Amino acid sequence: MAAKLDQGPPNYKEMLPPIILDNYGKWKYHEIPRSGVLKHVSESGAALFSVRVATPRLVSIDFIRDVCALADEFCDGFLRWTTRNNIEFLLSDEAKVNPLIETLVAKGFAVGGTGAAISNIIHTQGWVHCHTPATDASGVVKAVMDDLYEYFESMKLPAKLKMGLACCLNMCGSTHCSDIGIVGVHRTPPRIDHDKIRKGTEIPSLVASCPTGAIRPDPKNKSVVVNEEKCMYCGNCYTMSPAMEIYDARNDGIAILIGGKVSNARSAPSFSRMVIPFLPNNAPRWPEVTEAIRAILELWIANADKGERLGEWVERIGWERFFALSGLPFSDMLIDDYIFARETFRTGAAFKY
Amino acid sequence: MTEKKTPLLDELEKGKWPSFVTEIKRAAVKSAASAELLQVLERSYEERRGHWKHGGIVGVRGYGGGVIGRYVDEPETYPNIAEFHTVRINQPSGFFYNTKTLRTICDLWEKHGSGLTNMHGSTGDIILLGCKTEHIQPIFDDYSEAGFDLGGSGSCLRTTNCCVGPGRCEYACYDTLEACYNITNEFMDELHRPMWPYKSKIKFSGCANDCTGAIARSDISVIGTWRDTIRIDQDAVKEYAANKFPIQSQVCDKCPTGCLTYNNETQELAVIAEDCTRCHHCINLMPKAIQAGKEKGATILVGGKSTIVQSAFMSSVVIPFMKMDVEDDFEEFKDTVRRIWEWWDENGKTRERIGETIFRLGMGKFLREAEIPIVPQQVFRPRANPYVFWAQEDLDKSGTALDGTAL
Amino acid sequence: MQKGPASPEIKAKILEYLAKVQKAKSRDVAVAIGEKKGDVDNAVKELTAEDLVEYLYITTTYICLKGKVQTPNG
Repeated sequence: MAAKLDQGPPNYKEMLPPIILDNYGKWKYHEIPRSGVLKHVSESGAALFSVRVATPRLVSIDFIRDVCALADEFCDGFLRWTTRNNIEFLLSDEAKVNPLIETLVAKGFAVGGTGAAISNIIHTQGWVHCHTPATDASGVVKAVMDDLYEYFESMKLPAKLKMGLACCLNMCGSTHCSDIGIVGVHRTPPRIDHDKIRKGTEIPSLVASCPTGAIRPDPKNKSVVVNEEKCMYCGNCYTMSPAMEIYDARNDGIAILIGGKVSNARSAPSFSRMVIPFLPNNAPRWPEVTEAIRAILELWIANADKGERLGEWVERIGWERFFALSGLPFSDMLIDDYIFARETFRTGAAFKY
Repeated sequence: MTEKKTPLLDELEKGKWPSFVTEIKRAAVKSAASAELLQVLERSYEERRGHWKHGGIVGVRGYGGGVIGRYVDEPETYPNIAEFHTVRINQPSGFFYNTKTLRTICDLWEKHGSGLTNMHGSTGDIILLGCKTEHIQPIFDDYSEAGFDLGGSGSCLRTTNCCVGPGRCEYACYDTLEACYNITNEFMDELHRPMWPYKSKIKFSGCANDCTGAIARSDISVIGTWRDTIRIDQDAVKEYAANKFPIQSQVCDKCPTGCLTYNNETQELAVIAEDCTRCHHCINLMPKAIQAGKEKGATILVGGKSTIVQSAFMSSVVIPFMKMDVEDDFEEFKDTVRRIWEWWDENGKTRERIGETIFRLGMGKFLREAEIPIVPQQVFRPRANPYVFWAQEDLDKSGTALDGTAL
Repeated sequence: MQKGPASPEIKAKILEYLAKVQKAKSRDVAVAIGEKKGDVDNAVKELTAEDLVEYLYITTTYICLKGKVQTPNG
């Protein structure tokens, strides 16, 4: 049987529980009665309860079936995912909220991620499935969230904290605009397997794949050469040809960026900025990464005003003060020398120590 | 299947956060491919490197995307994952599901693939992780029969995504769920048949909180807003005051424009309408007392993307306010994005996102040629140099050239 | 996009051009055969449905004759 082309996604209207169909566009306000629970109240007085649980994003079909069984038992079969890979069970019956939470906790689900908490870390594929990873994704996320679990299941942070992880410096996901971004970094140019190139790589495409023009044809050798000074270690050439290996186990690792946000509330959306250029890939639990993130988090908790996102706090006190307070070493690696570097230079004589 | 040890991965089954290793192990009970994935991953943990190669195949007849080719680098050692491709299934708006739909997704994937998924990929799709080349067309045929379609990959309109919108949020300034659904269906060719210089993304956020990260993560960012003034319910303000909510310090003092004043005597809030930038802070903190104005719509911003190639860009304003009405079938939006894409398709270099094309050729040129009205809301401040590229044909060229001939 | 059926001549020119290269962007094909890009895109849509041409996603999307470009383990 031939597939139907261009029928588009399933219609969301078939996925909405009756309480949402009845109150669509009529929601009046919401509250967070306890960590992990949102209560949305409609103009009609109807209340919808959403119970939020974490997932590892990479899940088996049996996990989804387990979740379906719970949604059938407590939510008349309706649930949703969030953009941050959490599940929200949608309940119209308040009396079922606590029994659901008790069942979830008994089954080992993590309930939380609401309000002034850490939500799930948006992340990429890493060693599980990516072809140019500089680090794993799921494993680092697991290690970091195990360490910060208390801040997922409570709401005791100054404000919400959104984190992202990208497994290489193409920065898929949302690391460039997260409160804390964890970015896998390669630090060495690709290694060229000239035999492999001669066997089957189309050289013009390989040359064109390099965003910085660092790859040149080498007609004498029927291969290519890499101008190492121009290479930014993105791995795009490896995507084009497996003859350009970018991984380097001894030199790949992780950089930490902080202070990004996408919301317009109070201050303009902003990018995250690098504060640690390199930490080692110490699998399976990445202790250097979890310690560094916890230290930044605790500094923010101790110093920020109520409601102040991580980046808002740093901007208020000044980045030079952040480095003084955190004790993180400041180096030339943290000073931008890419295309838009100038806008980060201090063009005034007023600053702190 | 012989039981192989994974001591490093086992470390990631400890701790309170849900474990992806446990999930791969669950899939491995039923799938030889998932069992081999576990072995390759354990090796990656020992060697601290990945073991995958990219391939260009995109799979199904009539489409140019929706499948990403993935191959293990030692097919002889790991024959079950020699081919381990990703299939992207276009998700329903807002990630809402009924359990029947989810079970269908699971049953079909159990029949054809590894049993591993991502719920969801960063762009929004349901990700089916790991299948053989020969299964791609049957997978699509079966999912198609069950009412699903593939998402985007390659140089196309990528799968669009939206926030929870009016389905469950009082902040939604337009119907993000319907916009996402309707507009996705409008642009099926653009989604399924990649024809552009590079990828293009649209994200729909219902308010300035931008829960989809549209401004930083999409080429065309549709962010809900209103044109008139916030509405204040003074009785509700008094209730916040009665509950000792710190209105002055948490709301007024943090208002970026200082347009909100609180009278402690009367316990009333006042707004200077023309000073308000609609940042949403006060509404976030006092949702029972403050709400958006009545004239709702969206701001359209263009150019957002992550770091590759020319640094990360935030989208910037091109249309400060546009009605996003279901009744009009979102016609104004559709016409506008068609003009925007046409300009980019004509002017963009290969692997150049639209933000980069605009940066290279100039925002003024883009706005003129895409026929978008030019207004001060598009910039923070005007240029600080005199280097205007004047349109020569508009200037007075009557006079004499150096050689004495008339111009 | 309501474009109607593609021109058979354009389809033939695309196949002829793709036989000479390994893979190409559709815009480069349009320039090479002297046709409008929109018409080429429309013709490619039909050619892929007919299993004569396929899309390839390697850093950007190319088109090529079906089966011409090998997979990494091929």
